Amino acid sequence: MTRRLLAAALGAVAAVIFQVAVIYSQRPFPLLIVTVISVAVGASFLLAGLAAWHRWPASRLGLLFTVTGYAWVVPSLAHLPYALPFTVGNLIASVYAASLAHLALAWPTGRLRSRFECGVVIAVYAWNTLQSLVSMLFWNPATSGCGPGCPANLLLASDSPAVERVFDQISVPVGLSLSAIVLTLIFRHWWRARGWSRRAMVALVWISVAVIALSVAQTVASNLNLADSSLLLYGIAPVILLTGPALFVVSTLLARTARGALGTAIVDLQPGAPPEMLRDALARALGDSTLQLAFRVPGSAGYLDTAGQSVDPGQLGPGRALTALPAVSDALLVHDQALQQEPQLVRLTASAASMALEHARLQAEVRAQLEQVRASRARIVEAGDAERRRLERDLHDGAQQRLVTLSLALGMAREQAAGADPALQSLLDSAGQEAREALVELRELARGIHPAVLTETGLAGALQALAERSTVATTIAEVPGRRYPAAVEATAYFVVSEALANVAKHALTDAAVVAIRELPGRLLVAVTDDGAGGARPDGGSGLRGLADRVASVGGVLTIDSPPGAGTRLAAEIPCP
Amino acid sequence: MSVTAPSAPLRVVIAEDAVLLREGLRRLLTEAGLEVAGTAADAVQLLTLVAAGQPDVVLADVRMPPTQTTEGLQAAVEIRRRWPHTAVVVLSQHVETEHLFELLADDPRGVGYVLKERVADVRQFTAAIARVAAGESVIDPEVVARLVARQRRDNPLAALTGRELAVLALMAEGRSNQAIAAQLYLSPKTVETHVGNMFAKLCLEPAVEDHRRVLAVLTYLRR
Repeated sequence: MTRRLLAAALGAVAAVIFQVAVIYSQRPFPLLIVTVISVAVGASFLLAGLAAWHRWPASRLGLLFTVTGYAWVVPSLAHLPYALPFTVGNLIASVYAASLAHLALAWPTGRLRSRFECGVVIAVYAWNTLQSLVSMLFWNPATSGCGPGCPANLLLASDSPAVERVFDQISVPVGLSLSAIVLTLIFRHWWRARGWSRRAMVALVWISVAVIALSVAQTVASNLNLADSSLLLYGIAPVILLTGPALFVVSTLLARTARGALGTAIVDLQPGAPPEMLRDALARALGDSTLQLAFRVPGSAGYLDTAGQSVDPGQLGPGRALTALPAVSDALLVHDQALQQEPQLVRLTASAASMALEHARLQAEVRAQLEQVRASRARIVEAGDAERRRLERDLHDGAQQRLVTLSLALGMAREQAAGADPALQSLLDSAGQEAREALVELRELARGIHPAVLTETGLAGALQALAERSTVATTIAEVPGRRYPAAVEATAYFVVSEALANVAKHALTDAAVVAIRELPGRLLVAVTDDGAGGARPDGGSGLRGLADRVASVGGVLTIDSPPGAGTRLAAEIPCP
Repeated sequence: MSVTAPSAPLRVVIAEDAVLLREGLRRLLTEAGLEVAGTAADAVQLLTLVAAGQPDVVLADVRMPPTQTTEGLQAAVEIRRRWPHTAVVVLSQHVETEHLFELLADDPRGVGYVLKERVADVRQFTAAIARVAAGESVIDPEVVARLVARQRRDNPLAALTGRELAVLALMAEGRSNQAIAAQLYLSPKTVETHVGNMFAKLCLEPAVEDHRRVLAVLTYLRR
């Protein structure tokens, strides 16, 4: 490959040197600008050929550029003052036009699209050759255009300007028709192309218009024998041909721009953006609006793209190509086939897509895990609550009930022992007293485990009980009368109970206001005091535990406690 | 309110789901000279018994099957509504004002709300049953004490004398002036004076009837 490239490069250099040498072999020297343009056109095609060969090794574009380059350079032979090179040079002077048409029709993949187009290209080459051959048969340079210093035309069969003129009259419409066909086909390619191909076609369309305009102008001018236009048309106008190699530069830049845009698009993409947004970003960056990002339908062999279109990897539409994503086995990219010419760009797109998808997947995984942890935390808290309720009920139905029965029996025994042994009576009295005290202690213990009044009557009754027992004067400003899920009620109760305990301990005030308000979808619990303030959420384990407790049901605890201006502890608890 | 002749024993229905306690209560009440007309283990049985026998008094545990929350209380409220001649005493392991006010509704006559452990003092307990049967109210001292002791900002109760506070608490327990006088070793006249002063200090409308007084005082205390 490298050796071939080297050889081609040497060939190109040799061709350019040859052209310069040949042009300067004639007397008088031609105008410098004409020489420069002529050399520049040839050299640029040869250079573009080398570069295209290097960039798209699998494509014929490099070959076509190179052929066009040589087709432009070799006819310089006509400048040599010898009959043979003069004849050959003039004979092949316009082959480049045919290979330009070939190049344009094969753009951007290097392949002709149909048999018809192959036919058109063959016709163009054939007509080109025929035209040159016929004009050489009837053109005597000594009498027309070139003057007596010119070498002889070896092909001259009949020195008849009349025949030449007749042929020219036929050739103009044929040449124009062929040009029109080529131009129409190019426009048709552009019109039909979508996505990346269309992008690659845009520059070609403009360039074709310019080149065809030049060719038509040259044909018309030469047939009308506009001698004074020749310098402009044959010397300077060919600068337009430089647009051919420019096409190569443009396509290179397109690929480079797309690579850059791709990086930016991925960076700009919101983390966890849905796949359709990823597709849009990639399509925009690539300039391939037809890009599809398809995912395997779970449990089947089929794929669906982000727009919901089904994609069959085995049967893609014409001009479509498929690229698998590295590291993401269940997704693929389907794109314009022309994009395959830029394997690096495709690779980059695929890895960008898989990176983004992998990122999204990891994010979804983390989110799912977080959701699991949240759910399990809620379950743990709920299980704890349930366990406390059960313990309280066990105490109520068990020990408390038995102690009451025992007290009853002791009371009856005391009645029966009335008037009997005073020692027995006092023993029974103290036993009754013990049982009573045990009952009081047990009642407080049960309340500490779980306030039965909360389960029995709901928040309103439970808050009332809290307020009655609190050591700070507690006003219940607002509390909904309805019942809520046990976890919600327990959390709200816990918040108020802890907040009142904190007021009693730290706030240096004797009053607090409790308000529970139902807002759409949530319960707002607020305990406000006018005390010392300065409470910090991370200050004591009480507030931290409270925040955890509220978070366990998906709620948020906020503490507003500026020093010296009271404390407002508020919990927002989601509830259906 | 009971039309039963003084000589006839009070007819009582007991609703309590714990068997030992239920049987203990039956024995206690029988030995105290009351007639146990039936026992129930849940609210449905209780309502059936009351509908059939229309007893003088019902003793009902707050918590009973199936939900173990406030079936007994609900049944008591229903009994007071449907059978005004049947008085109810609701027993509970813990006393709460929320229960109390649900039970009292607008009419505290013939209603009692006491801690279960009050059964230990046989005489006081049977006396409470008799009072309720006679149309009085019996409110457990525990819940009254809590209401009186409740922290209040600018507490109006601070203006009362110790004696007045004691009278207030006994009033809230459902006692009549005579009973308060007897308990505090005061003359009924003195009690009346205390009551008048106290109502004035608390800006309460003086109420003559005992049951209105109970409701007014409890409502005031609960604010």
